[in-house]
Amino acid sequence: MSPVVELKEEQPIAFGIQDLNAWYGSFQALKNISMSIPEKRITAIIGPSGCGKSTLIRCLNRINDLIPDFRLEGQIYFKGKEINDPSVDPIEVRLRIGMVFQKPNPFPKSIYDNIAYGPRLIGVKNGSRLDGIVEESLKKAAIWNEVKDSLRKSALALSGGQQQRLCIARTLAVDPEVLLLDEPCSALDPIATGKIEELIYRLKEEYTVAIVTHNMQQAARVSNYTGFLLMGELVEFGPTEKIFTNPADSRTEEYITGRFG
Amino acid sequence: MKLEGMHLQRMLRGQKRSERVFKIVAGGALLFALVALAILIIDVFLDGFRRLDWQFLTSFPSRKPERAGVLSALVGTVYMMGLTALLAFPIGVGAAIYLEEYARKKNWFSRLIEVNIANLAGVPSILYGLLGLELFVRMMGLGRSVLAGALTMALLVLPIVIIASREAIRVVSPAIKEGSFALGASRWQTIWYQVLPIAFPGILTGSILAFSRVIGEAAPMITIGALAFIAFLPDSPLSPFTVLPIQIFNWVSRPQKGFFTCAAAGILILLAVLLMMNAAAVFLRQRYQKRLYL
Repeated sequence: MSPVVELKEEQPIAFGIQDLNAWYGSFQALKNISMSIPEKRITAIIGPSGCGKSTLIRCLNRINDLIPDFRLEGQIYFKGKEINDPSVDPIEVRLRIGMVFQKPNPFPKSIYDNIAYGPRLIGVKNGSRLDGIVEESLKKAAIWNEVKDSLRKSALALSGGQQQRLCIARTLAVDPEVLLLDEPCSALDPIATGKIEELIYRLKEEYTVAIVTHNMQQAARVSNYTGFLLMGELVEFGPTEKIFTNPADSRTEEYITGRFG
Repeated sequence: MKLEGMHLQRMLRGQKRSERVFKIVAGGALLFALVALAILIIDVFLDGFRRLDWQFLTSFPSRKPERAGVLSALVGTVYMMGLTALLAFPIGVGAAIYLEEYARKKNWFSRLIEVNIANLAGVPSILYGLLGLELFVRMMGLGRSVLAGALTMALLVLPIVIIASREAIRVVSPAIKEGSFALGASRWQTIWYQVLPIAFPGILTGSILAFSRVIGEAAPMITIGALAFIAFLPDSPLSPFTVLPIQIFNWVSRPQKGFFTCAAAGILILLAVLLMMNAAAVFLRQRYQKRLYL
């Protein structure tokens, strides 16, 4: 049974996911997932640990291709094109669909080189153009004022929250259409979390955002749509307001009222 | 459960005692190794240091101990070392990259290769000498040349270089690699821009230590027939050559007392070359780590 996908408003669809099943070796992590992720909105995926929410989001930019035992069935359409089609280059997918990970993972390079890494890979060599991209990306990620005087210093010297905003800036530097955020605040303190949430909220003006979180308040605060996953199944998906005030499934209600998870 | 005062005291005393015993045993083991090494070095030093002069460094071997020197052996060692490094380093690092980054699906074939590499690292060096004699000296017709020696030594150190490089590559955090892939990097770009810069200090240290093992090896050089009496310097990779361990071995086996002193002086020079290589390993590691912003 796949839940009915109803969107509150007429909004173009970025991702259409159909009958998605995924395995790590013989363990099935996702079961018959069907859902739509609307463009330029924030979609949150919630659920208890091990429910498959990270697996789901990691399918969307084909980063799970790198895991040797991983196997996938079903379709993921991005702007009408099946991203797992043999004719699609995973590198193009990852350029258009950026990802920020749970633990901040800055490269052991300078702040500048962290941001310039992606643009350089696609052949941007011009120094002043790189300077422009670095400044613009850091500004978009709301960290420019904190680092503008230390661009040549190590990215590892930044605090955890700054590192995570740097990673967001690094992702924005290759000008993606989508931002996938895999529990971006789980390693951060409440103040750093607040800054990132504020940032995410502003980013939906320009980007489609999908965020995985085990923090339900966070999902309620920032997202427009919410999907609730349980043991690899999508229990419920719909406008965040409805999921949190009037869930259709009793399991969703139990989870959001804190009875398990 | 609450421990009573007396009982607790007794237990803590027992722990303190075993702590002390272990410290003494471990310290004793270290002391034993250091003392043995010190005796060896001091003994060789007393025997050989008077013979260490400019004449000894710049002379070819001679029938008269007071006119003999290590020039051809020293140059031969450095020449062969350089060629060995040139051959073994790229091949070894390449193999390590392949095993760690490309052959990631564990099947019987990759396991077979892994077990084999580990076994090859343990094969006695004289067997490599026999292989080199058959393959390089005879079949490939390279003769008893520096190149044949270097190829043999390259085979000898390859497993060690591969194992050291793999360990250095494995330390690179998967999070860094994922970050790179997520920005649209290909596997090769990720290896080149992320994995190798981080792994390089470790690869370098492991490899230099492996190469410094090469300069002490005498057995394979004897089998491939590096001669002891070479009164000229190798002028091409195909010239005959000799190396320090063989020169030392030759001197030790002579009856005259003077050659015994020459052997001791030769050992001191071998030790000096080893120390310089290890110092280079430390220096290079420091330098590359600083560049990394770690």
